[in-house]
Amino acid sequence: MKKYAVGAVLALIVGACGGSSTTTAAPGTTGAPGTTGASGSMDDLIAAAEGEGVVTTIALPLDWCNYGGMIEGFEAKYNVDENGLDRGGGSAEELEAISANKDNPGPAAPDVVDIGLAFGPQAKADGLIQPYMVATWDEIPESAKDAEGYWYGDYYGVLAFEVNKTEVATSPADWADLLKADYNGQVALSGDPLTSNAAILSVWAAGVSAMPDGTVQEQAEAGLDFFKQLNDAGNFVPIDGDSRTVGIGETPILIDYNYNSKANAIALAGNPEIDTVVPASGIMAGMYTQAISAYAPHPNAAKLWEEYLYSDEGQLKYAEGFCYPIRYDTMLADGKIPAEVVAELPSTEGALFPTLAELEEAKGYVVAGWPQVVGVTVDTSPSG
Amino acid sequence: MVAVTISTAPIQAAAEAPAPVELQKKNRLGAWIVFGLVAIYFLLPLAATFWWSLRALKDQYTLEAYRRLFADSNFLPAFTQSLVNAAVAILLSLLIIMPTAYWVTLRMPRLRPVIEFITLLPFVIPGVVLVFGLIRLYSRPPLVLTHTYDSSRILLVCAYAALSFPYMYRAVDNGLRAMDVRSLTEAAQSLGASWPTILRRVIFPNLRVALLSGALLTFAIVIGELTIALFLAQKTFGPYMAELTRSKVYEPSAMAIVAFAITWAAMGMIALITRPRKEK
Amino acid sequence: MGGARRPPRRLVGNWVGVVPFFVFAGLFLIGPTLILAYRSLEGADGSLTLDNYRAITSPLVIQAYGASIRLSLVTALIGGLVGFGLAWAISMGGLGKSIRSGTSTFSGVASNFAGVPLAAAFIFTLGRIGAITSLFEFLGVDLYATGFSLYSFWGLTIVYLYFQIPLMVLVILPALDGLKRDWREAAENLGATTGQYWRHIAFPVLLPSVLGTMILLFGNAFGAHATAYALTGGSIPLATLLIGQQISGDVLNNPGLGYAIAMGMVFIMAGSILIYSLLQRRSERWLR
Repeated sequence: MKKYAVGAVLALIVGACGGSSTTTAAPGTTGAPGTTGASGSMDDLIAAAEGEGVVTTIALPLDWCNYGGMIEGFEAKYNVDENGLDRGGGSAEELEAISANKDNPGPAAPDVVDIGLAFGPQAKADGLIQPYMVATWDEIPESAKDAEGYWYGDYYGVLAFEVNKTEVATSPADWADLLKADYNGQVALSGDPLTSNAAILSVWAAGVSAMPDGTVQEQAEAGLDFFKQLNDAGNFVPIDGDSRTVGIGETPILIDYNYNSKANAIALAGNPEIDTVVPASGIMAGMYTQAISAYAPHPNAAKLWEEYLYSDEGQLKYAEGFCYPIRYDTMLADGKIPAEVVAELPSTEGALFPTLAELEEAKGYVVAGWPQVVGVTVDTSPSG
Repeated sequence: MVAVTISTAPIQAAAEAPAPVELQKKNRLGAWIVFGLVAIYFLLPLAATFWWSLRALKDQYTLEAYRRLFADSNFLPAFTQSLVNAAVAILLSLLIIMPTAYWVTLRMPRLRPVIEFITLLPFVIPGVVLVFGLIRLYSRPPLVLTHTYDSSRILLVCAYAALSFPYMYRAVDNGLRAMDVRSLTEAAQSLGASWPTILRRVIFPNLRVALLSGALLTFAIVIGELTIALFLAQKTFGPYMAELTRSKVYEPSAMAIVAFAITWAAMGMIALITRPRKEK
Repeated sequence: MGGARRPPRRLVGNWVGVVPFFVFAGLFLIGPTLILAYRSLEGADGSLTLDNYRAITSPLVIQAYGASIRLSLVTALIGGLVGFGLAWAISMGGLGKSIRSGTSTFSGVASNFAGVPLAAAFIFTLGRIGAITSLFEFLGVDLYATGFSLYSFWGLTIVYLYFQIPLMVLVILPALDGLKRDWREAAENLGATTGQYWRHIAFPVLLPSVLGTMILLFGNAFGAHATAYALTGGSIPLATLLIGQQISGDVLNNPGLGYAIAMGMVFIMAGSILIYSLLQRRSERWLR
């Protein structure tokens, strides 16, 4: 563990006394990295970040969008360590960790968060995050970022079926297939539909498949209805599935992001074999966003981390993890993504990219309706 | 009460009481049944875990899970951190408990109940409550220990030392009772020894076995401790194991077997060194 | 360190040796507890109040405490009975010295085996794809379809017993050894059957020890966090898990309440240790 320079300790004490500093590149500029100084440069930021010596992240599993590779690359390039908290946490827990450690700027306080798109506005309203615009700000689509720089999309993927081929003979091809008797006791969500972004999207996606032209409300209700049928048929396994539960056969068919499924297939190396199937209809795109904590103990390290994530190198790491980096379109046009990496990314043709408003609406209906319509509690224990 | 019930036992029962040998046999069968059933309960999870740990590769039994465990880049740092934490906590505990127990035995016997009560506090304060209090107490000036990783680590080690007090104190206290502290001290003093010398050259060597068993118990507690390390954001073995269990398929079973083996080694050593001596 | 001014020096000198202990205990045991106690009595406006303790009637807290108490009672009872049986078997059952010392050592290991490794071991045994679950499936029984789940109250009970039973064995063995042989021989000479011996002599003498140790077991289960966390991650409401969640984020929406429930735990634990030592003292009269 890196020893702290005296300067870093002083910076912490000063920072704690002086309250959090908010920095933004002046709106409208092409986002030179902002620092606490008047006109910062990248070198100043690197120096300040290395002085702090560590960036505390939270809820970043190493096999999620190749975060393992991202961390390795970051630590190799800069003299800053990554301190990863609660790698299994969800978006809500990330924000809770920020507020729980407001007055405790230590190793338990996150500097940066990676939260579902729906969580950004609430975090901003609660004053938990501070704005920052990375150097490549302009290449992030408007719909994927907060105009004032508080949160900004980092990657997206589509929901897919992660299938354990040892337990399942024929993989399902679409949502309707999941209701077949062959899949009795096999289908699970990758989270609690009352709190998890991915689970909520899964329910909505099932509804989109049933009613492609319906309103958000109709689709959400159709999705809830689908899961009620799934549960009544005995096909639904009410536990919070993840790569591990698929691997050991607890949840042979998991509805999760395609990138997690593919990463797991590689990690398990055929024991068992994993099939990643993007459904034929109801293709749902899910996006996550980055934000810097308003109480970040290491604000400069946090900013450097964001710069790295949005640099060509960082965005490519995401792509290598089977995720679409947010700058995909411009990077592809500039030829910055190798063909073999592009080949591994799923097609997003026909995929639904929900707007923030649609997302919040769907979330409202699913969370409210799940206990009534489906009435099953999803066991979210890490080992179950 | 005992005397009364014996004398009222009917004398005819003597004739009906089963012969001692048959009684022993019935006893032994019952004992074997109880032992057998309980043994199954205890050995089954170990056997199941071990069996799982051999199945990392498809259709074969290998030690691959163990290899992956030891090759994991996070395994050794976490284990080493815990080892160092344990060593420092043991040393700290030793340095505090030994003089204290000695002092109380020799000079302030009236304080003994107070000291014993305090050493029992770790049983009264659950780990999760202790870390709650530690964080609240040490996250604000004047005593700020939770703002950096290293200072939090100091807090962790001190907490571990405090948690080891019941075991260390009991061990040292037993050891002191077994030796005639007063005479030894007076003899040493009459030879002109100072307190530190007495502690170091006279008391400590005689307490070696007791201290070793206290140390081993502390080691077993510290090495896999989860609760306090988790909330102080420390990268020790406990949180590492928890993360492993959450994310990997085969490695956690290898880890559980390794953890069991380590605990067994520590306890086995205690049993070995505290074997009753031949001399009476 | 020779001194001429003896009496005053003795007073100070006597305390010098124990000051480090008190300072250390004050800093890392008593201090943290006192700050929780102090904060638990602090009202929203900073005044001293018992409101936080009154707020312990919130359903989340009642649920967590209730579940913890039930779990601790059940594991203390079952653990106590099974542990007693095992201790009897290895000390008086004629199984031999090696069985006894082996079981003794294993008990020392198992009572310390709590936490993540224990949870992991049981997941591989009784989890949805555990060895025993699979065995049942092989025999045609779908264990989880019957409503059983390792990640439930009874699942936790089964796991907790893994360190409760050994604790009982370790603590009650000396008591069983203390049952003097002569009492047994005297009883037999007077014509008492085994049943009468146990009913009139052994049990009454052992009862304080057994009860006291069961209460110790209760406290042990009540204060456990690591095993429950590793197994359920907080999905089953338990008092220790609730406190843990309160540390990570204000899940109770009331910091004062958080401190109160933490102190509540301390009171319950203190009570159990107190009753245990009182009962131990009673039994020591006979078993010394």
